[in-house]
Amino acid sequence: MIHSSSTAELADDLATASAPRKRSFWRALLAGPSGLIGLVIVAVLIFAALTAPVIAPYDPLRMAAGPRLDAPSTNYLMGTDDFGRDVLSRIIYGARLTLQIGVIAVGISLSCGLLLGLVAGYSSGWTERVLMRLVDVLFSFTEIVIALACLAIFGVGLTNAMIAIGIASIPFYARVTHSVVLVEKGKPYFEAAVAAGAGHLRLIFLHLLPNVVPTLIVIGTLGVSTAILAAAGLSFLGLGAQPPQPEWGFMLSSSRDLISRAPWMMIFPGLAIATTVLGFNLLGDGIREALDPRQTDR
Amino acid sequence: MGKFILQRLFAALVTIWIATIAVTILIHLVPGDPVRIMYGSFQTTPEELEAIRVRLGLDQPIWTQYLMYLERLVQGDLGRSIVGDQPVLDVLLTRFPATLALTVSSLAIAIVVGMSLGFLAAYKRGTWVDVGAMVLAIVGVSMPHFWLGLLLLFLFALQLQWLPVAGGDWRSLLLPALTLGLANAAVLARLTRSAMIDIFDQDFIRTARAKGLPRSIVLYRHALRSGLVPVVSMLGLQFAYLMGGAIVIENVFAWNGVGRLAIEAVLSRDYPLIQGFILFFATVVALASVVIDIAYAFLDPRIRYS
Repeated sequence: MIHSSSTAELADDLATASAPRKRSFWRALLAGPSGLIGLVIVAVLIFAALTAPVIAPYDPLRMAAGPRLDAPSTNYLMGTDDFGRDVLSRIIYGARLTLQIGVIAVGISLSCGLLLGLVAGYSSGWTERVLMRLVDVLFSFTEIVIALACLAIFGVGLTNAMIAIGIASIPFYARVTHSVVLVEKGKPYFEAAVAAGAGHLRLIFLHLLPNVVPTLIVIGTLGVSTAILAAAGLSFLGLGAQPPQPEWGFMLSSSRDLISRAPWMMIFPGLAIATTVLGFNLLGDGIREALDPRQTDR
Repeated sequence: MGKFILQRLFAALVTIWIATIAVTILIHLVPGDPVRIMYGSFQTTPEELEAIRVRLGLDQPIWTQYLMYLERLVQGDLGRSIVGDQPVLDVLLTRFPATLALTVSSLAIAIVVGMSLGFLAAYKRGTWVDVGAMVLAIVGVSMPHFWLGLLLLFLFALQLQWLPVAGGDWRSLLLPALTLGLANAAVLARLTRSAMIDIFDQDFIRTARAKGLPRSIVLYRHALRSGLVPVVSMLGLQFAYLMGGAIVIENVFAWNGVGRLAIEAVLSRDYPLIQGFILFFATVVALASVVIDIAYAFLDPRIRYS
């Protein structure tokens, strides 16, 4: 998980990478195995989410679409669950929820974290010290505990879980943004802009922000995978998706008592989560390599 | 060194202090009436609800509440749980040994498996061993922990019947510890590999080799010692993640630790218990990271003598 690698290190690696021209970026992304495989997996996920009503063989919520707990067969490629619902159709529709989770959670943490990190890194002095100290403390609480606290406040449910995960990851994004801003502030172009008398807003939005974006694209992509894992975990614990939502983590949770009778109910949703998360991880790694070829071998 | 320890202790205290503020504010952020949410299912009259509000101090201004909370905290009183009506601290302390056993044993598994895998990959850099280890690591990072848990449960407890599904003795600890340990080994393997690759490229290793030292001495005495420094510095964070991961894994394996308790508390909206859990978790993680940082300082002379 990205959150376990040192943020300062990551930021340092990325801050030195300047955004290359568009064509060479795409070529570099598709050249490595990570970027290519990641892009394919993510594309398949988006395709499944967009075309779910067309490609899903059955209605994901329809009970008794087939016999109950039917093993995988040509009729039901991934078998049926304890309500006779088609597991494959539920997984295809689940792609929609999964994408939603990724986009909403990362959207929240990225925007708030970016703002906090920019303000803290730019202001320096007391504001910076207090803000970053607070961020460090929140970071040490770990995301799951912050998410649990948020759910204790808002109540359980999938939407609340997405928001909770988004809030829980803010400290991480704030830390990365802050470290990148510190690196950028020390560069000659920034000092030149200050010397030329650029105003605060100009310095922040025209000079710092564009240089923070490449890093945020990488950690945002990797962050989607963390968010998906976290949401699946919360749904698995009964705090996220509620029946009959076809959410993958929730599907895994309902498979628990039936593992020995219907292992397919446990295997396929888990495989779906793992593949999706792998896809975003590989894509994130691929983008990082494409932005900074120096890092390829590490 | 003394200054370093004091600094770390102070940082831990600040963390715990902020946690006390956070849990006091938490209950006020609940939309609606928290007392009604907590006791609503118990068939309570408005008068009884008012009495509870007074007993919990929720009729006071928030800063008075905070001072009352601190005062009770100093006396070791974290309030009483709503479900079961027991002292929160007692409940947490009864459940904690199980979580600690799980966390420590999975940390051991993660260190042994993760570091060996990362070391091997760095040493055999560019070969199929390296590629294989790193593919395994990225798959491990991408797998939901609870799914890995269910797969291990399916394989070892149900198919092969080597281990019990649940219980409470050391044999039932194996599967949850293995799950959590292997899941985190993947992260450590990637960290170790990248740290070791940095070291292998450095001049002092080349010198050691060039002057004809046996390969094992170069590897273990020179490379491993310095390569471990950045990895050990991450162990504090790893411990925190394992504690967090334990919350989910305990629920997969019906392991009776504080994590399982926390989920029950959130589901039943037992606020005193939730507040107690958050404060307890923050304290344990903060103290553990102090201990790990001190261990790290002993390993790295640059910190010890600064």
